[in-house]
Amino acid sequence: MAALIRGLKAGRALRGLRSVAVQGTLSPQCNNVRRGFHRAALLRLASDSKSDTSVPPPSYHEVHTAGESSSSSAQGESSEGAQSNTSFQDQSGEHGEDYETEEQLQARILTAALEFVPQYGWTVETIAAGAETLGLSSASTGMFNNGAGDLVLHFIAQCNAQLAETLAEQNNLVQLGQAESKKTAEFLKDAVEMRLRMLIPYIDSWPQAMSILLLPHNIPDSLKHLSTLVDDIWYYAGDRSTDVNWYTRRAALTGIYNTTELVMVQDSSPDFEETWAFLDNRIKDVVNMANTAKQVQATGEAVVQGLMGAAITLKNLTGMNQRR
Amino acid sequence: MHRFFRPRRMLRDAKQPLLWTAGQLCSNHKPVVTCVRGYIVLPPTNDEEEKAMLHRMMRVDHAGEYGANQIYAGQMAVLGQTQISPLIQEMWDQEKQHLSKFNEILAENRVRPTLLLPLWNIAGFALGAGSALLGKEGAMACTVAVEESISEHYNSQIRTLMEKDPEKYTKLLQLIKEFRDDEMEHHDTGLEHDAESVPGYQLMKAIIQAGCKAAIYVSERL
Repeated sequence: MAALIRGLKAGRALRGLRSVAVQGTLSPQCNNVRRGFHRAALLRLASDSKSDTSVPPPSYHEVHTAGESSSSSAQGESSEGAQSNTSFQDQSGEHGEDYETEEQLQARILTAALEFVPQYGWTVETIAAGAETLGLSSASTGMFNNGAGDLVLHFIAQCNAQLAETLAEQNNLVQLGQAESKKTAEFLKDAVEMRLRMLIPYIDSWPQAMSILLLPHNIPDSLKHLSTLVDDIWYYAGDRSTDVNWYTRRAALTGIYNTTELVMVQDSSPDFEETWAFLDNRIKDVVNMANTAKQVQATGEAVVQGLMGAAITLKNLTGMNQRR
Repeated sequence: MHRFFRPRRMLRDAKQPLLWTAGQLCSNHKPVVTCVRGYIVLPPTNDEEEKAMLHRMMRVDHAGEYGANQIYAGQMAVLGQTQISPLIQEMWDQEKQHLSKFNEILAENRVRPTLLLPLWNIAGFALGAGSALLGKEGAMACTVAVEESISEHYNSQIRTLMEKDPEKYTKLLQLIKEFRDDEMEHHDTGLEHDAESVPGYQLMKAIIQAGCKAAIYVSERL
C-alpha cells in the first residue's frame, strides 16, 4: 500500500518534469521514455522532494530526458501499448520493487474493474469501481483517454495472452512427447473454443463490448488484437507457410472466429452447445474447401497432361513431328 | 530439412567462422516450437521497432529471392533446350537455396510474407521468359540487370545493419554478405556471356532496374 502511494507520488512528481507532447496512446518509441522515467523517478524518490499533489493530467505525455544514457537493459521492457501487463524489469537494481509504471497501474485498475462488468457493463463506472477496490479515487478514470474502449481492449489482450500461453504449454508437452499432437482441424476447433469460453463470464454484456470495438478509433487496435490472435493460433497449429497460404489461412480463421463469436452472443443452449456445433461445421467447411481446391488443381494438371499427350499424338499422326 | 545449406561456403568466408551454438533457444518471449538447428540468424529482441525493421528486411529479401527464382524459371522455360541451359540451371539452383533459407527464417521468426507474392510470381516468370525470347543474350542481360539491383539492395541493407550494431547482427550480416556475393557472381557470369551484346541493352537494363526498385519499395511496405 505504501509502495503504491510512493509510486503514485513519484508519478505525479514526474509530470512536473515532462514537457508537453500530448499523445493519445504510447508509441513503441517510449522505451527510452520509460528508462528516463525510471531514473528520474528514482532520483526524486531519493531526494524526497516536494511532490505536486494535484490530480495528474488525463493524458499521456512524453518525457524528454536530456542526457539520459540509454545503455544496457534496452530490452528490459516490451511496450505493447498501454493495454498489456508488462512485468517490470529493473534498470538500476535498487528501488525496483517499489516502483511501478503508469502502464502497470492502469493494467491493475482495468483487471480489477473486470469483476464489475456484469454489474455496470463496459463503461467508465466499471473502471471507477475497479479503481476504488484498489484504494484509488474514482477520478483515476481520467487516466484512461479511451474510457470503456481501454477496458475492452485490455480484456481482449489479456484473453489473447492467456490463450497464447496455454497453446505454448500444450505445444511444449507435444514437443517433449508427453502429449499427442492434434490434427489441424481439431486443433483449430479447440483453440477457438478455448478462446471463446473466456467470454462466457461476460457474455451478457459482450454485445456492448463488440459495439465499442467497432467504434472507428478502436478499430485499428481491435484488428491488431484479432490478427495477433489468429496468427498465434495458426502458428501453434503448425502453419509455417511463407506464401499466399499465409494470408488465406488467417483470413479463413478470422472469418470463422468472428462468425462463431456472433453466434455465441445470441446462443441460449446449455453450455453453448449450438455455438460449438456451428464452429465445428465452419471448420469442416474450410477443410473441405481446401481439399476441393487441391483436387481441382490435381484434376487440372491431369487434364493438361492429357491434352498435351493428345496434341503430340496428333502431331505424330499427321507427320508434323518428323524432321525431313 | 533444416540442414545447414552449402557447407562449402564455410570455407570461403573463413575469417568469420559460423558459430554452432547447440540447443540455443530463441528468446522471442515465446517458446521455440521447432528449432532443430542451433543457428539463429535474427537476433532475438523485445524492441518493437527493431523487430519491425528486421521483419521488413526479411520480408523484402524473401520477396526478392522468390522473384529471382521465378525469373530463372521463366528463362529455363524458353531456353531450357539450348546450350546456355546448364548455366542458367546452376544459377537457378543457387537462387532456390537462397529462397529456402529465407523460407526458414520467415517460418522461424513468424515473419509475414509480402502480400504481393502472387504478383511477383507472374511478373518474374514473365520477365524471365520475355527476356529469354530475345535469345541467350537477352536472358543474360536480364540477369545482369536484376542481379545488379539485388546486390545494391543487399549492400544498402548491410550498410544499415553496420550503422546500427555490427556486433549484434553478425550472423545476419554474414548471411546477407554471402548472398550478395552470390548475386554478384551471377552478375559477372551474365556479363561474361555476352549480356551487353543484346540490342537495346542500356534501355532494357534501365527498365528492369526501375522495375526492381519499385518492387523492392512496394514489398517493404506491403
